[in-house]
Amino acid sequence: MKNKPPYLLFTLGLLLCLLLFVLNLSIGSVHIPFGEIAGRLVGKPLPKTSWETILIEYRLPKAVTAILAGISLSVSGLQMQTFFRNPLAGPYVLGISSGAGLGVAILLMASSAFGWLLYQGSLGIWPIILAASLGAILVLLLMSLTAWKVKDSMTLLIVGLMFGAAVSALISVLAYFSEAEQLKLFTIWSMGSLGGSSYAQLTGFSFALILGSFPMLYMLKSYNAMLMGEAYAESMGVNISRLRWGMIISTGILAGSATAFCGPIAFIGIAVPHMARLVFKTADHRVLLPGSALAGAIILLFCDAISQLPGSAQTLPINAVTSLIGAPMVIWLILRRNFSKEF
Amino acid sequence: MTSKPIILTASNLNLGYQKGNLINTIAENLEFELKKGELTCLLGPNGVGKSTLIKTIMGQLPPLKGQIYLDGKPIQQYGLREISKKIAVVLTDKIRMGTLSVRQLVELGRIPHTGWLGSLSPTDQNKVENAIEATNIKYLADRSLSELSDGQLQKVMIARALAQDGEILLLDEPTAHLDLVNRLEIMRLLKEIANKENKAVLITTHDLEIAIETADEFWLMPCGSPLITGLPEDLIIQQKLDVLLPSQSMHFDKKTGKIKGKANDSDIIIKGPEFLKKWIESALAKNNIFQLPENQFLSIKESPFELDLNKNGESTTFRSIRDFVDYLKQGSIS
Repeated sequence: MKNKPPYLLFTLGLLLCLLLFVLNLSIGSVHIPFGEIAGRLVGKPLPKTSWETILIEYRLPKAVTAILAGISLSVSGLQMQTFFRNPLAGPYVLGISSGAGLGVAILLMASSAFGWLLYQGSLGIWPIILAASLGAILVLLLMSLTAWKVKDSMTLLIVGLMFGAAVSALISVLAYFSEAEQLKLFTIWSMGSLGGSSYAQLTGFSFALILGSFPMLYMLKSYNAMLMGEAYAESMGVNISRLRWGMIISTGILAGSATAFCGPIAFIGIAVPHMARLVFKTADHRVLLPGSALAGAIILLFCDAISQLPGSAQTLPINAVTSLIGAPMVIWLILRRNFSKEF
Repeated sequence: MTSKPIILTASNLNLGYQKGNLINTIAENLEFELKKGELTCLLGPNGVGKSTLIKTIMGQLPPLKGQIYLDGKPIQQYGLREISKKIAVVLTDKIRMGTLSVRQLVELGRIPHTGWLGSLSPTDQNKVENAIEATNIKYLADRSLSELSDGQLQKVMIARALAQDGEILLLDEPTAHLDLVNRLEIMRLLKEIANKENKAVLITTHDLEIAIETADEFWLMPCGSPLITGLPEDLIIQQKLDVLLPSQSMHFDKKTGKIKGKANDSDIIIKGPEFLKKWIESALAKNNIFQLPENQFLSIKESPFELDLNKNGESTTFRSIRDFVDYLKQGSIS
């Protein structure tokens, strides 16, 4: 596709992303002035050591997590929407996020349901990440088995939705039998959180992001061919079953790791690719991939800034904020332009 | 005169689907040769296996028996990518993405030839430009796909297939859903592409009349018997087009080039200009009127149009054929 890469839009996006990044570092229960943070980023020390601790130990990992999760979720949503040729596809539809939820639910709540004790608070957040990853991988394996048996994409989509529904039901059963304390732990996890990541976790998350993006980067051209549907893509030399496996593995790693590290975060995966299409006015994945990644980072940073409730020590759950911001935004986008034609 | 080069051949070809031990044969003993520089029309009733044949030629479906040879090599030995450089298709799926412009869609056709990122080299750009010019869609190049009419969209899809630059173009019902003018235009365009760009163009169609006018070669695909191939006019003279018609009650009329009911010949005597007689016979045949009571005959006047029914010297005058048909029908009821 010949249209020039929209460098101006990307530059503006990067600037906006940087601005929100610094804003995120600045706001919270302790206000650190904007200028001081900008100075710290270029190497000047902060006037108070407590600020330094807050910045380095809490806010910086949180802002980086927002960027990583934003990129992971929107890139996996973009792949699914193109592969399934369905504007409503997103990380939730293949049941991956629900699978991660099931892993965490078993870890946190199965103890009272079955009398096991799987989780002691002393181990920190790692067992939760592990459980979520295992849950996501389990659903991923089931989906792969289905994909291996079924060649039709629409069937795969429906089976994914059904997996998600069944897994949610299992979680409800576990929740019903669990004790109040554990139920609360799980409920808090399911509200999502960008905070609390250590640098070791961030390294793991970044690694998962690079690993998960690789299949899409490798098959970028095939995604452009998929704009015309499977039959045409195949007539242009695209190996559909390889693309399907790549999509499943890539979205599994991306959405699975994002859910593992941050809990479920709604709307980013569905809404951001549509925003990227509208902003960049293209269907070319060579623009949409970086575009969605950038937009995902911006939107999640923005949502995180809002969840800080400026001027208050309270924070809102991030999953609620993304839905509250995301839902009206999608409705507005749909009403403003002819949505089905744009897709 | 040298004969045109053959690009695709098959003999003893069985088509169908295999699922486990279950074999569903759709067509048997097919034999054909596809020539470059010619427009070939594949005709046959619905469900006879035209689309299955197209899929098999595309290499997406293995043949149950026999082989299709592309440039002398069995098509199953080609990789998907290699086939995509030789065969481009226009399918019946509608592509209507608003975020895609006409030029971008045509550029998608270069996918088999480009590298990992799909960036277009000057050669690729040239091929895209040529495809856009050959299909006369330059004025549409910057429009979004959702703004096009069906006819324009079909030309754009043909341009994309041309840009893919295979020696073979396969089109599945390219004229379905189009109005008469667009059907003619698309078929003429395909014929021009076949002749000028030296492509082997194979299309499936139900548009017999336009196909007769434009095709260089017909492949007739009757139910349960091998393909009948040949120059359309030869097949007409040999009365071969009848194989397309399932029942004995219809036949292909050599004189008019149309499919007609095998009706009794009309015994009605009509006096008047030949070109008017034809339409009156047609209207009467439609209403199953093949004879008039004894000693009656019709005479026609051209302008103003008048139809006289003469009976023993008396005559009744009608202003339109409908009046006359209504009169006859009333007569038969009472």
